[in-house]
Amino acid sequence: MGKQKNRLNFIVGISLVSFALLLVIVGIFYTPYDPNEMNVLAKNQAPSLSHLFGTDYMGRDILSRVMEGAFTTFFVGIATVIIGATIGSILGAVTGYFGGIVDEILMRINDAVASFPSILLALVFVSILGTGKYNVILALGILFIPSFARVIRSEFIIQKEMDYVKSASLLGASHIRIIFLHIFPNTKAILRSAITIGFNNAVLAEAGMSYLSLGVQPPDASLGRMLSESQTYLFGAPWMALAPGLMIVITVLGFSLLNEGGAWHE
Amino acid sequence: MKFYIKKLITLIITLLFVSFITFFAFQVIPGDSAVAKLGMDATEEQLFELRESMGLNDPMFVRYGRFLKNAITGDFGTSTQYNVSVGSLISERLPVTAWLAALSVLFMVVISLPLGLLCARKENGFLDRFLTFLSQTFMAVPPFFLGIIITLIFGIVLKWFIPGKFIPISQDFGGFLSYMVFPAFAVSIPKVAMLTKFLKTSLLRELSFDYVRTARSKGLKKKQIMTKHVLKNALIPVITFFGMLIADALAGSIVVEQVFNLPGMGRMLVTAIANRDFSVVSAAVLYIAGIVIIINFIVDMTYQKVDPRVRIS
Amino acid sequence: MNKKPDLLSIQDLSISFGERKKKEVVHKISFSVKQGEILGVVGESGSGKSVTALSVLRLLAEGGEITNGCIWFDGMDLTKLSESEMVKIRGDEISMVFQEPMTSLNPVLTVGVQVEEMLLLHSKKTSEERKTAVYEMMREVGLKNPELIYSKYPHQLSGGMRQRIMIALAMICKPRLLIADEPTTALDVTIQAKILALLKELNQKHGTTILFISHDLTVVRNLCDRLIVLYDGQIVESGESRDIFQNPKEDYTKKLLAAAEIVHDSSLGRASITSSVSDAILEIKDLKVYYTESGKRIFQKKQRKEVVKGISLEVMQGESVGIVGESGCGKSTLAKAITGLISDIEGEILRKEQKPQMVFQDPYGSLNPSKRIGWLLEEPLKLQKGLSKQEREQRVEEILQKVNLPTEFKNRFPRDLSGGQRQRIAIARAMILHPKFVVLDEPVSALDVTVQAQVLELLKNLKQEFKLTYLFISHDMGVIHSMCDRVCVMYQGEIVERGRTEDVFQNPTHDYTKQLLSSVPK
Repeated sequence: MGKQKNRLNFIVGISLVSFALLLVIVGIFYTPYDPNEMNVLAKNQAPSLSHLFGTDYMGRDILSRVMEGAFTTFFVGIATVIIGATIGSILGAVTGYFGGIVDEILMRINDAVASFPSILLALVFVSILGTGKYNVILALGILFIPSFARVIRSEFIIQKEMDYVKSASLLGASHIRIIFLHIFPNTKAILRSAITIGFNNAVLAEAGMSYLSLGVQPPDASLGRMLSESQTYLFGAPWMALAPGLMIVITVLGFSLLNEGGAWHE
Repeated sequence: MKFYIKKLITLIITLLFVSFITFFAFQVIPGDSAVAKLGMDATEEQLFELRESMGLNDPMFVRYGRFLKNAITGDFGTSTQYNVSVGSLISERLPVTAWLAALSVLFMVVISLPLGLLCARKENGFLDRFLTFLSQTFMAVPPFFLGIIITLIFGIVLKWFIPGKFIPISQDFGGFLSYMVFPAFAVSIPKVAMLTKFLKTSLLRELSFDYVRTARSKGLKKKQIMTKHVLKNALIPVITFFGMLIADALAGSIVVEQVFNLPGMGRMLVTAIANRDFSVVSAAVLYIAGIVIIINFIVDMTYQKVDPRVRIS
Repeated sequence: MNKKPDLLSIQDLSISFGERKKKEVVHKISFSVKQGEILGVVGESGSGKSVTALSVLRLLAEGGEITNGCIWFDGMDLTKLSESEMVKIRGDEISMVFQEPMTSLNPVLTVGVQVEEMLLLHSKKTSEERKTAVYEMMREVGLKNPELIYSKYPHQLSGGMRQRIMIALAMICKPRLLIADEPTTALDVTIQAKILALLKELNQKHGTTILFISHDLTVVRNLCDRLIVLYDGQIVESGESRDIFQNPKEDYTKKLLAAAEIVHDSSLGRASITSSVSDAILEIKDLKVYYTESGKRIFQKKQRKEVVKGISLEVMQGESVGIVGESGCGKSTLAKAITGLISDIEGEILRKEQKPQMVFQDPYGSLNPSKRIGWLLEEPLKLQKGLSKQEREQRVEEILQKVNLPTEFKNRFPRDLSGGQRQRIAIARAMILHPKFVVLDEPVSALDVTVQAQVLELLKNLKQEFKLTYLFISHDMGVIHSMCDRVCVMYQGEIVERGRTEDVFQNPTHDYTKQLLSSVPK
């Protein structure tokens, strides 16, 4: 039963993710309209054959804008995870493996940071650094380091006590060899799930910040900003909100289902 | 007792740490506020005098001490955008956010506790699968998008409330609450999904342990096993998770206040960041962070009380 | 004894597991337990013995199902009863004691409350009377100070005390049948002996019938009146306990007994003592080893505990020295200090070889699960350097043959292997560099008894072939007896007795050694 459920999760997850990715990749090379082209004659149009998702208050094609906004979303999400996962897992591996006073101090800071709502800290960062795509990536990337470090560290603390690690060290394997060749491969499943969760959190955080106009700034398209612009026209043109909102939901849901179904895949 | 004193000291250290970071982030990094005030053409002398009167020439730890003293007495200076004292701004805004968070937490508990029990009772039953699907979907919905959808359905289509028309507490408390229900749902529903799932997993994990088999071998009925043995064990990890959820509810409020046009701490913070009104930003951050730290402290204490394995005798 | 009526009678019982693809694990077995007797059910893991025991009270894990047969208890067929009728039988008429007393008790309730709950369910006693009854029962199972113990949580008690609580819980309603599922497996031998004696005493005093499940022939030998030997879900032999030990009829029983014999046989591995004694390969002088409990908080004071308290020991080239003791005596810590895995030590360790190799207890944990067998065996050679790829491959195949495994195993992962095969790989990995000195830390404790015998044989053969020196650590007197020339008995971090194995076994001088030996059922 569980296996079947995982299989279903995996299939639905991969379909949603593929759909989102397809829109992003096609969007790099081709969009039906120029996402920033305004058309006063076609303001607030409902979805139709010529504008599949309708148009916004400036007559811009929503599908094209969603495609571009989704690209930003993926770009921010992936870049954030790369920063957070790389630094975080190396930090977690080293502190977890060696322990000691450095580990303790870092973990205290980690605990303090982790107990805060991440969006609050992200807002503190941008209020100092300023807004914009790269500052959002930097802020979220740094903020995600502790969560990766924490996950990998606790795994390393368990693994380093295992007999296979002791056996390797008796054979003369160096610390670096043990950390990277022996223990890291065994954290694969956990790292994969941390990466998916991290990516999803980054997507949600970026959307939230952009919604508050404190994230990605125009001319970069952003799903969060589209949503905040849509609110004024919610009464007459609800499709303006639905398309970018659903795009976020599809992406996040797809990745989390993929993560749940991952156990089946292996 | 010694343990509680230790915990209290850790709490104070954490609060000091956070206040120092806030001080550093908003009083030191942004640069010379004398220049900001007087403009670029001020003479060196004017600047020096202003710095002297603002205390900017003092060493850092003196400035931090003053900042801390003012923070404790609730004096955060004046807001540059509203030109009123930050303290009065906060006393106006804080209740709105507090009510929003409290209502959200209430919804989370009231909805997810029975749902979690139902799901765990029949794993892989229809209800469990349906709720799992639902919770997975809702976890993927950003609270502000949920807020927009709630506005669309309940505000515009069903007309149960007027979008954007906030009713202040002082004016009509009932009206205030009935308006707050909608943003509270937007904040809590994604967390309800999480909490239900967490509770279900925790219950199922407990059900797989040997002591449940012992309880069965003693002749306890299924319901008795749930209430007398499993629930208490299963709620222990939920307590820690709950602290995180409250923090998340506060974070969710920051964004959702914007959707429903609520004059709370979140909106104040956002506009202050946009206007670089740093005395307001530092006060808001300090308040929200302080509340989160204190809640975590309370959660920690409760945890010690409930779990005999970590209880210090 | 044969005239007594049957209390429990199982007829043609079959049990299957699995949701879709059902797999039958017990195949139409029939046996009965007479009023007042102790019946032992013996078998290795996977024989279906625990499943049979659990099915009596309908406590099978999810997916388990009785597919055929009846369970007659006192004129009722338990398989036909409704769940609410079963609830009344459980605890009152039939109760159970499980293997792991720590996990079998609810961690957040006091043990007193858990015992008292039985009376709450099955008697009409007042709260006052219940308390008195609980205290009395606790005293009866050998717990002093019941008033104090009543309000303790399971984690605050020792393993032996916890199991006594479990027994008190199971006995307080004076059930007619007590099912004990490996009740002593998780305990140290000296405590094991006491718990067995307690069960016997309760059986005689109250006439409680006991169904005793165990994997350990030596444990059931003295306790049980009759025995049933299970293999692969079928009864291979049954009869009076004495008859089975003296004249086993079936091949499997003989094999089981022989395996226990090999474990105790002392002719093979020893005798080397005079042939190759030369100089010391290991010299330890006044060794103290410390263990530091890592504090969770930054300012927490760390607890530095002395685990090994001043031990001196010499191991000569070619001999096998055994270290025997119960859990917590410091024997594993000593092993780790000798191999250099623990560095917080005082005193001197002089090793002739740079680093002795080590074989660990749990072959699941000692092989990296994400690597193939070939990679695991090749790694020591890679770390040595100086060997070509071809030479390394050749050495890997050689060592696989030496430990009697096919060379195709190179491409498998540890998870594809059985416990015994995994332990052979772990041994191969330790031996591939041809060390002179190997530390074996409980190398067979995690294995079934027939597999134990095979692995011990292998270790003996390898010792002769490679002229190895062993430091053999075990809690099992039998294993030590068959493997070691000399033995050191460890108790609370110190060596309390040492000497030639034969001498120590025949004329133990220290009280603790005597206690250890007496609790080994002969």
